[in-house]
Amino acid sequence: MSSLGSTTGGGGGGGGRLWDLILAPEGLTTSFQPIFERKDGQLTVFALEALNRGPRGTNIERSDVLFEYVRRKRGEVAIDRLAIAASLREARGLPEVPGLSLNIHAATLEREPRLPAWLAEMAAEYEVPCKRIIVEIVEHAPPWSGRQFLESLDRLRTLGMRIALDDVGLGQSNFRMILDCRPDLLKIDRHFVSGAHADENRRAVLESIADLAVRLGAKAVAEGIEDERDLEVVLASGIGLLQGFLLCRPCSSKRLRKLDFMKRLWSEPLPEGYGDDLPDDPSATQEVPAPR
Amino acid sequence: MSLRILVVDDEETILFAFREHFEPLGYEIDCAQELEEAEALLSHVRYGLLIADLRLTGSQSSEGLELIRYARERSPWTRIVVLTGSGSEAMKSEAMDRGVDAFLEKPRPLGELAALAANLLERTA
Repeated sequence: MSSLGSTTGGGGGGGGRLWDLILAPEGLTTSFQPIFERKDGQLTVFALEALNRGPRGTNIERSDVLFEYVRRKRGEVAIDRLAIAASLREARGLPEVPGLSLNIHAATLEREPRLPAWLAEMAAEYEVPCKRIIVEIVEHAPPWSGRQFLESLDRLRTLGMRIALDDVGLGQSNFRMILDCRPDLLKIDRHFVSGAHADENRRAVLESIADLAVRLGAKAVAEGIEDERDLEVVLASGIGLLQGFLLCRPCSSKRLRKLDFMKRLWSEPLPEGYGDDLPDDPSATQEVPAPR
Repeated sequence: MSLRILVVDDEETILFAFREHFEPLGYEIDCAQELEEAEALLSHVRYGLLIADLRLTGSQSSEGLELIRYARERSPWTRIVVLTGSGSEAMKSEAMDRGVDAFLEKPRPLGELAALAANLLERTA
């Protein structure tokens, strides 16, 4: 473990039955969803986004409920450390892909000055080069433009990591944030992608963000692609980075390690819709049932 | 109107009793024991009815009032019933001011609560 402290260090959380379950071994479950790049008519894997869920069988198994719970508990720093450690641990041993995307709350970058150094140490411990890491900034609450937040971003860049801004177009992922963060990747929220084939206004938003990304020297990523017609619109908008169930659902590391899957996923261009014919992976590819 | 109900109480036996009685009646029941857990659910799940105790961490606490405020703000379509064993007149007054639909004292027959839920959710019991 890192000399900078325990995985859960950094304060916050406040205890409670569910919080204890999160902190327990195997409290979080990590899966990976590929982000694809379209080049010369072919799809290749650009990065894997690590996704985390809460303890099985609880209300917070769903990631959206989990992270809302964490924010209500002001436990962003602790959960981010846990999720980063779990994600890097699961990613170790996977063949190299250009990027490994890790979600980190803006509040963590603001409140925890040691986070960049700690992340670099953890990455070294799990043999993931910093240059592969993409820090995806999530959460839409102040302090977006805190001084420490911006210093942490600079530090992450100095370490060789790339920055992605999540949910562009919604909430606090606005023009000011884009200017402040200077992200390498603009991740367009699914709200603008879903149904774009039948909505001229959505198409206009996609084209405008794609153009903005080019002018800022960044790349746009379309999230939540679940319909072939939307995929066509996204590509026609000039967006070359793609993510969504249509292309590949989140996979467990165990599934990603399967040789036949790996060979095709990493060493060869991937045809659109790849993964549809693979057997379901109940541990990672199905929707979490509604909370009970 | 959603037939999904969120029940918030720190006593597991009460949550169990709600589940046992309401689910056979066709309701979907989610249970939470913590304020933050309930708030997180209200943020992402559409409930027709919230049934909440006022005190979740001790005899002097008042998380229920905070939860009512949150529910009114984030989930204005959700009907709210307070079910408490220790609510003072002041807390009752505050809860009513915050817009709860009913304020009941424990213990209460489950059949009565089911009838109230059906009424609030505009459903034939």
